[in-house]
Parts: sequence; C-alpha cells; structure tokens
Amino acid sequence: MAPGRLLVVDDDPDILVYVASLLEDNGYEVTTARSAVEALAVLDGRRPDALLVDVLMPGRSGLDLLVSLRRSPGWRDTPLVVMTGMDQILRDDCQNYLGNQNGVRGPDAVLGKPIDPPTLLAVLKHLLPERGGVSDGRLAQP
Amino acid sequence: MDDRYRQYFENMPCYVTVHDREFRIVEANSRFRRDFGDRVGDFCYRAYKGRSEVCPDCPVEETFAAGAGQVSEQTLVTAAGVELPVRVRTTPIHDRDGRIAMVMEMHTDLREARQLRRMLDESKARLAQLFEEVPCYISVQSRDRVIVQANRKFRETFGPAVGQSCYRVYKHRDEPCLYCPCEETFADGLSREHEEVVVSADGRKIDVLCTTAPVRDASGEIGAVIEMSVDITQLRELQSQLTSIGLLVGSISHGIKGLLTGLDGGIYMVNSGFAKGKPERVTQGWEMVQRNVDRIRSMVLDILYYAKDRELQLEPIDVALLVGETVEGLQKRAADFDVAISADVQGDAGQFPGDLKAVRAMLVNILENSLDACRADSKADAHRVRLTVRRFPPFMDFVIEDNGIGMDRETLDKIFTLFFSSKGVSGTGLGLFVSNKIVDKHGGAIQVTSEPGKGTTFRVRLPLEAKPSTQPVAC
Repeated sequence: MAPGRLLVVDDDPDILVYVASLLEDNGYEVTTARSAVEALAVLDGRRPDALLVDVLMPGRSGLDLLVSLRRSPGWRDTPLVVMTGMDQILRDDCQNYLGNQNGVRGPDAVLGKPIDPPTLLAVLKHLLPERGGVSDGRLAQP
Repeated sequence: MDDRYRQYFENMPCYVTVHDREFRIVEANSRFRRDFGDRVGDFCYRAYKGRSEVCPDCPVEETFAAGAGQVSEQTLVTAAGVELPVRVRTTPIHDRDGRIAMVMEMHTDLREARQLRRMLDESKARLAQLFEEVPCYISVQSRDRVIVQANRKFRETFGPAVGQSCYRVYKHRDEPCLYCPCEETFADGLSREHEEVVVSADGRKIDVLCTTAPVRDASGEIGAVIEMSVDITQLRELQSQLTSIGLLVGSISHGIKGLLTGLDGGIYMVNSGFAKGKPERVTQGWEMVQRNVDRIRSMVLDILYYAKDRELQLEPIDVALLVGETVEGLQKRAADFDVAISADVQGDAGQFPGDLKAVRAMLVNILENSLDACRADSKADAHRVRLTVRRFPPFMDFVIEDNGIGMDRETLDKIFTLFFSSKGVSGTGLGLFVSNKIVDKHGGAIQVTSEPGKGTTFRVRLPLEAKPSTQPVAC
C-alpha cells in the first residue's frame, strides 16, 4: 500500500518535479498543481491524504488555499504542509493574515526552503501515521 | 463728612487730599500723613514736591479752570526724600450754589505698575527672541490661511512669507492643500501632528514633522493657529536607505532559497537518474541545474539594478499606447479575480515626458493594488477597476478608481510607507512606496481618497513639462 496520496502545489515547475520525484521515490502517490486555482480543480476529482503548498504564488496564495480548505467541512481536517522560503518578517505577516481570518487553523507544519528531504519525509510520516509511511522517515536510496 | 465716609476717606489705599483755590491742603488721609507728614494748611506744591511756587501743570489749577476732573502723571517727593511716580486723578467739589469750592486729588502709586510693565516688556522680548531663534520653522496663520508671522529660520528657508497664503509659501501651490492641519485645528481647537513634504524658496524638498496649536484671544476664541515644523529630511533619507537594505536582503534571501531548492532538485534528479539507470531523468535534472544557474545569474543582475539608484530616462510617452499596454497586461489577473478592468483615454491626450519603464511600473502597482482591493472585498456588487486619463495642463491626469474594500484613515496614512501592507502575504509593502517615489521623482503628485466598503481613488498627476526632482529613485 502506498504510504499516502499527496497533492504538491508550487508555481515553480522545477520544484514541483523535484518534490514529486523525491516523494514518488519514497513510495508516495503524487499529483501536482501550479497554482491555488489549479489545486482546487484537482481536489474536485480526487482526495489526497495531505497537501504540500507553496505560499507566494501568482493569483491566490498558498494561504488563501489553506483558508478555503479549512472553511470547507469536507477538507477541514486534511493535513496541509506549507513550504516557504520566506523570512521571519513575512512569516509574521502570514500569521497576521491568518489571524484576521476568524480563527482559521494554521498549517500543520511549515517547512523552510531549500527543503531538507529527511525532514519532509519525517513530517509526512508524523502526519499520516496510519498510512505506514517509510520506516523511520529515512530517505529511500535513489 | 460723617463717620462712615471719614473712615472710607482715611483708609483709601492711595494718597487723598482736598485743596482750596489757593492750593492749600484742607484735608488729607492717613496714607498721605504717613508718607508726607501732617501738612494740612500747607501749600500742596510744597507738601507734594518741595516747591516754593505752584507747579506749571498743576492738576488742581486745571480742575478749577476746566470745571471737570483731570488725569495726569506726576512725580512726588515724600517726606523721606523718595521720588514717587504717581497717576493723579482730580475731582471738583461743588458748594451749595454749584460753584467749585475745592478739588479732591487721588494719587495712585505707579511703581508696581511700572515694574510689571517692565517685566512684561522683558518677557515679550524673551518670547520674541525664542520665536525668532528656535531652530525650526514657525509660522502663525490666520483663518483664511494667510501667514501673519514667521520666525527667522522660516523666512530664511521660505522667503518673506508674511501676508502670503501658507500653501503658496510651503508648497508653491495655487490652491489650498487637500489636507490642512491648521484648518482642523481652527475647527476643533485641538493640536495636530502631521508629516509633510514642503518646498523651500529655492525649490528644495524638505520632509517636515508639523505640529499645530490654536492661538486664542482674551475671550477664548481661536484667532490664529501656530504651526511648528521640524526638518526630518535626513532622518527620512536614512530610514529609507536602511529599510531599502532590509528589503533587499529579504528579497535576496527569499529568491535564493527558491533557487537553491531548484538546484537541489536538479542534483537529486541527476543522482537518482544515474542510480536508477534512467538517462532521461539525468537529462531532466541537468536541465534543471542549468536553468537555476541561469536564474541565479539573472537574479544577481536584477539585484545590482535595483540596488543602484538610477536617474530617470525621460522620453516622450504616448499615453494611449501606455494605457492600452498596461491594462492589457492586467486583463488575465483581473479575470482571475472576477474584476472588470477598463481604460478610458479622454480626448487626444497625446504625449508627456517620462521614464516609460518607471511610469508603467507605477501604474501597474496602483492598478494591482486596486485589483487586490476588489478581490479582498466580499460584497456582492460587480467589481470594477477603471483607469481614466486626460490632459489637464500643466499635468497629465491619471485617475484609478475601484469599488473594492476601501481603506480607513489609518491605512490611508501609511500606504506609501515602505513595508506597510494591508494585504497579508499577498502584499510586500513595496509597490505603493516605489510608485510614490516614481511620481515624486517626475515632479508629480499622488492623491488618494478612500472610504471603507466603498472603494478607493488614486489621482496621479505627472507634469507635461519635465521637471524631475533631484533625488534618485530605485524603481
């Protein structure tokens, strides 16, 4: 059984290819989207176990996507991991933004870019324990 | 004189004497006796001044002659030889036939009044010196916005200003400013603090922190408003440079992290492609490495461009072309946000001198701000953003209107501040700051009006004749 179905959202195609390959090499089933709008369209047809979402994207941001999902009863509890290269000042800005959204629950984890693969896998294993995941979050050999 | 009046007469806190036609003192109160001795029956000129004949300006004599009371100032000499300045008031005393029988004289000691006047004069001089020499700009303005007083530093910087309108002197404007702190102080009597950019007589732009206070007359009415402005130009320049550095570091850091992730991805694909024997994956990874190296190179060049203050590259800009291209470039974003964006160039707007790249960036920033304001607005109305341009000599007038979320006063006050963003993560706090700098650099002005829930209007005026300011702009 695959350790989980994931949707990765990032406007940078290189990062999408990288993260998708890394996760697929570690057994995950991965779908990708290049914007929040595209992600919502993907979610219409399938149900991933977790989402990995970039923050700063053209059009709707990753946080807008998070707010939409958290407000939707069917998606409220789906784990969402934010991937960002933002500095503290902008992370604070994110927090203020979420603070103005009537108590919307924040992301389940925030991963800094560049992404550290063992940390990413450990986070996913923690968020999706019933799916089994890769043992101890160790990186599969390429 | 009955006892009661005798008591009043005796206890008057001044010298009171009654004189007959021969200038003899016929009555004198206790204070007179204290300082001049018991001189009843003596001639007043001898008692009061030690003279041997009638004084040339004798108020008693004048009262007998005129038939009415007199007022004058005299100097008396007391029994102890002390000279005493006094104000003398006389009153004729009539007999039963209505003729003037005697004259009463009251002398008020002027020493205390003169001392107070001297102190008052000294205080006035000190205040005037303070007003003149204080190292900031001070002006006093009337209700009709005319400067009625200005201190030395003000006159040195803004020229002879008294009698002229404050908006003409401070900003070289022909009409009152949109926001006038003096007007508000006149209206409610409260002090205002406001940051402004003013222009000196020689055309230098000065950032000032301006404070107003009402000047009330004796009845408590506000007769004028005093305005004190402190030059904070250097402070603002330093602040701007520091924040620019902070912003640059933040942008570089964010950009590099993204590129490093891309590079990591390329390396991962190359390594895993080799390990799995998948040459197409190696090729894909290598392309990713090359692409991200190119992006790093391009980013470094961009940073160098942004970091360096550059002079405007002025050229004739065709307004219709500029507006068409700018709005066209935003159509997709507007459609994504479900906002109708339109442009209207009124009449033959023609051309104006400007830095095309900078002016386009400025318009895009403001229009994107308007689109975001519509997107953030939850009301059901159809959202629209409209750019209207017309030639309005001596300016080219750009008006950007939206019916989005609008701004409250506090937000409005900060929108041109670096790093201020009301849009959460979707705003960097850079766009309107740079837009303002671009307009300022062209010698133009931006005005903003907004109402929460109704929308915002930006009016940008760029001069039809090139008159760029001297400050370089990062744009």
